[in-house]
Amino acid sequence: MSTTMQLLRTDWFGLLVAFLLGAIMLGVAQPSFLSTYNIYVILTAFALSVLVALSQMVIVAIGQLNLSVGAIGGLAAITFAGAMDLWNVPIPVAILIGLMVGVAGGALNGVVTHVTGLNAFVVTLATLSIFKGTNIGITEAQPFYDIPEAVKTFGNARFGFFPYLLFVSGAILVAVWVFMRRAVLGRQLLAVGGNRNAAELSGISIGRVVVAAHVLSGTLAAVAGMLAVARLQLGQPTIGDDWLIISFAAPVIGGAVLAGGHVSVGGTLLGVAIIMLINNALVLLNVNPYAVQLLLGALILAAVALSRFRDPA
Amino acid sequence: MTEKLVITGASKAFPGVQALDDVSLALAPGCIHALLGENGAGKSTLIKIITGVHRPDAGTVLLDGEPVQFASPREAIARGISAVHQERNLIPRFSVGENIVLENLPRRRGLVDYGEVRETARRFMAPLGLEIDPDTPVRNLSVARMQLVEIAKALSLDARLLVLDEPTASITPYETETLFRLLRELRDKGVAILFVSHKLDEVFELCDSVTVLRDGRNACASRPLEGLDRADVVRLMIGREEQTARRTERTATGEPVLALRNVGTELGHRNVDLEVRAGEIVGLYGLVGAGRTELAKAIIGAAKVTSGEVQVDGKAVTIDSVATALSRHRIGYVSEDRKHEGLILMHSVRRNVAVTVWGRIARALGWLPNRAERDAVTPYIDRLQVRTPSLAQPVSLLSGGNQQKVSVAKWIAAEVRVLIIDEPTVGIDIQTKVYLHELIHELAAAGTAVILISSDMPEMISLADRIAVMSEFEVVGEIDNDHDATRMGEAIMARIHKVEGAT
Amino acid sequence: MSMKVVDGRAGPRGPTLALLASSEAGLLLITVGFVILFSYLTPGFSSPFNTYALTRVLAIDVVIGFSMMVVLVTGGLNLAVGAIGVCAVMVGGWAMEVAGLPILVAVVLALASGAALGALNGILTVAMRVHSFVVTLATMSLFFGAMIVMTKAQAFNALPAAFVSLAKLKTYFFASSMLYISIGIGVLLWWLFHHTLIGRQILAAGANTSAARLSGVPVERTIVVCHALSGALAAFAGLMLTARNGAALPSMAGQLGMDWLLPAFLAPVLGGTLLTGGTLSVAGTFLGAAMVTVLSNGLLQLELGEFWVQAFLGIILLVAVALDRLRAHLMAKRRI
Ligand SMILES: Nc1ncnc2c1ncn2[C@@H]1O[C@H](COP(=O)(O)OP(=O)(O)OP(=O)(O)O)[C@@H](O)[C@H]1O
Ligand SMILES: [Mg+2]
Repeated sequence: MSTTMQLLRTDWFGLLVAFLLGAIMLGVAQPSFLSTYNIYVILTAFALSVLVALSQMVIVAIGQLNLSVGAIGGLAAITFAGAMDLWNVPIPVAILIGLMVGVAGGALNGVVTHVTGLNAFVVTLATLSIFKGTNIGITEAQPFYDIPEAVKTFGNARFGFFPYLLFVSGAILVAVWVFMRRAVLGRQLLAVGGNRNAAELSGISIGRVVVAAHVLSGTLAAVAGMLAVARLQLGQPTIGDDWLIISFAAPVIGGAVLAGGHVSVGGTLLGVAIIMLINNALVLLNVNPYAVQLLLGALILAAVALSRFRDPA
Repeated sequence: MTEKLVITGASKAFPGVQALDDVSLALAPGCIHALLGENGAGKSTLIKIITGVHRPDAGTVLLDGEPVQFASPREAIARGISAVHQERNLIPRFSVGENIVLENLPRRRGLVDYGEVRETARRFMAPLGLEIDPDTPVRNLSVARMQLVEIAKALSLDARLLVLDEPTASITPYETETLFRLLRELRDKGVAILFVSHKLDEVFELCDSVTVLRDGRNACASRPLEGLDRADVVRLMIGREEQTARRTERTATGEPVLALRNVGTELGHRNVDLEVRAGEIVGLYGLVGAGRTELAKAIIGAAKVTSGEVQVDGKAVTIDSVATALSRHRIGYVSEDRKHEGLILMHSVRRNVAVTVWGRIARALGWLPNRAERDAVTPYIDRLQVRTPSLAQPVSLLSGGNQQKVSVAKWIAAEVRVLIIDEPTVGIDIQTKVYLHELIHELAAAGTAVILISSDMPEMISLADRIAVMSEFEVVGEIDNDHDATRMGEAIMARIHKVEGAT
Repeated sequence: MSMKVVDGRAGPRGPTLALLASSEAGLLLITVGFVILFSYLTPGFSSPFNTYALTRVLAIDVVIGFSMMVVLVTGGLNLAVGAIGVCAVMVGGWAMEVAGLPILVAVVLALASGAALGALNGILTVAMRVHSFVVTLATMSLFFGAMIVMTKAQAFNALPAAFVSLAKLKTYFFASSMLYISIGIGVLLWWLFHHTLIGRQILAAGANTSAARLSGVPVERTIVVCHALSGALAAFAGLMLTARNGAALPSMAGQLGMDWLLPAFLAPVLGGTLLTGGTLSVAGTFLGAAMVTVLSNGLLQLELGEFWVQAFLGIILLVAVALDRLRAHLMAKRRI
């Protein structure tokens, strides 16, 4: 098979072409797209969204869905902010608390799913309510304002167009990429998603893998939540409310199979990038706000169509 | 010498079925032990108890003299038990290599070492004659190759107890020979092997002792195979004498219903000529990878014909989809891959058989009463002796052989003009095989043109009128069948070898 | 010797117990349990007014659940249910208010446009050979955006009184008349999926696409039919909601119509319809919706304080489904 054909068959090549075409066209149509500040804005949004997408992606890998990604992220965000605001704990401890919330939330999802054998969809829908409800119960829908300066600074600092937040997300992105391709646990995730029975007969402990995937998902969501706090400079209880769609859209546009067993970190990254690009374009081009949704839909469809050179299965 | 494995009084019930009832078995190290029985007799269930998939309702399992109760396959593997199960159990998107070593992924610095994966995989593939790139995704392989990968996977554990549930069901005699050589070597190293097969010749060739199950009970427990002959074993299995197939008299008539003229396909076939007339059974024989299944796929429109001509009733046609093949030309295909292409596993026996007749039995407004469906399928279920607690049982819960019967039954019921049957008797017990052969004869006698793909040489010789021999995606010769097993066998192998020698 | 073959759900202890072991029975038991509990805890729960309000919500949520269910059986999903529902309703509202068409014609027009938008989803899914998730994610935006552009986000709120009064009827036991309509739709769907040719083809294609295709099932057609049906049902739910609200509102299903997604998924999935396709339970979907409606309504009646209601709902939901699993597990152990 020729190299071109091989490229066309990857998950990411079509998306990369779509992204580059879009970026070039936008750059020509609206030069301010390439301004340092605009790129910084896009990259900041990207840094948050990519973690959200990865958090969903690891669950899609085992053939399940996690509706509570946003709720876990939100809960981690407000505990992180609340710990610093109410109890004045040092930042590293607050980060640890936020991470623990992610781990615990994920573990709850994983353990309940595995032990009861219930569909993860139902379980995470219920825990979505629990996490979000706890969030509202604690905050009574009011933000935590008193965030240490260091956190706020970090959330808005940049090297030229490169936000500091992206260091965190970039490192995690690479780590997840290595994890899915080369780590034993990562391979076991995909094995369970690809053929659960076969994985079990090969001596893989399904329970361990399912719980691990959910814990990882919860942790990633928690990191995203805390980054959002840094970015917004306050512990907003609504953090995570609008994550659901992008969390699914990016991995799936990136070639993940919803039934499990196949995900692509590169594809997911490009999926996020394309959605960011489209959003940015609609803002920059000053599109009639009524038509934004319409165009967004049409463009997602076009991006996917472009990426379908590869085999459809 | 202590026995490797001793099972006493094992019982297991599923809703509506007593799969095992007080079964015993003893297996010594350095011994190949046959586990025999009709479809649904309980062989696989027993194996799943040994490998920790099921827990017995009653009874004990001793491993090396020590009682064990496995809670999962993982624990069985840890205790040195390795198995090839009857159903394929591979991760479709993973490579051949990674599938083979999945139990123990080699790692370096915490990460999977893919160089090592390839190397280990090759080490276990080579003795089986499996010469493919270990990086190939498993889902691109043929059923036979998947079977070999599965065997390599089991061997890679270096287990002291090797359990093989119909490992030879979908590979050819040639590969079977290689496998048997390997198994004998393992036996000589003291490995205990439990072997399930419906091919009695293989059993007599390979095994030392035998346990026979009938209706979930011991018809005999762990006795030496020496002193038993085929008729004895059959009597133990079915409780009476074996019946032989009645052949319905028939003559092929008229012009070819289906003809391939100089056909090439996108899958790599070249210059294929083949014709089949109404009432005729044409066999397609070849080694694994000869391109027989692929040819069938091209005929029914699942793959593209790129050159030459496909003729139906003498007229050139283009078959661009399975739907066209079936609705316009009434050409049907029984897939060799029952799990993925044959059956709708989660649906009932009734629906699975009826799927091909729905169009015919539907009333006004598309109304399809259950009763009509039941009446349509019952004769075939009875005829093929499908063992199921009810017609509403999900097919996934039937034994492997019974699933196969359902997969074939639906096409016998379909009343097509041309039927391509791919490995119809894989995993089917000897007595049902006889009934199925009778059915195929009857089908042809009633005017159906049949193309039979089978790796089972005796089956081919007993059923086919003509045998087209395929090798490397070409038809390399056609032989009229005179039903003399030895002579035909030699003639066929001669064609294959002539081509292979030339290249 | 072949075993005697009997048709029907055979368990060794006969059909009655088998029926009890079904997941529908579990949902029914749990829902009835909560109804009794809430009636005991708060008098407001069983008041005629609350019964009426509850059944009216239930009637609509059931149809929304059906509209997702019919796509789930194909192994796909339809994120655009809400968007389609709103679009269809705006067509209906326009037909009644602006074009002055008779109610029946307007209703048919709305249903037809729902079906057409759904069919478009199906056609795109088949033609692009991608998961319907991606297609409907895009068309959700597309349909909703187009609707907003065309209506300029204006409602139709001068609908004929005859139409609005359809939603106001109370019937036996103070239940809303709309509930009986929903049940009627359920019966039709049950018949369609279990007793007709196309229904069986849909189930077969949803369970195993390649096997179904090789058996001559027109897989592509079944996908388009299901999406069209889903669109029509979404339109129907939209019309019910419109009659209840007394106006055709672009905002009635929230931003992009996403407010519908929760009831849409919850009812069928709780009711035992698999996300992987190939099976469905109409009664289960109905009972799933009933359980959720009872739980959320009951919790509101208990007045636990607005901030913690949602957390309680989550916990109770989890407990309820876990109880059902436990029941199924115990039944299986006794081998019923
Ligand atoms: N999980 C299950 N649920 C219900 N019944 C089952 C299940 N597994 C097996 N059975 C039933 O138990 C009986 C024994 O099945 P088993 O698979 O052990 O047969 P087998 O001897 O391996 O047959 P074959 O030669 O066809 O492979 C069959 O009647 C089968 O239908
Ligand atoms: Mg078996």
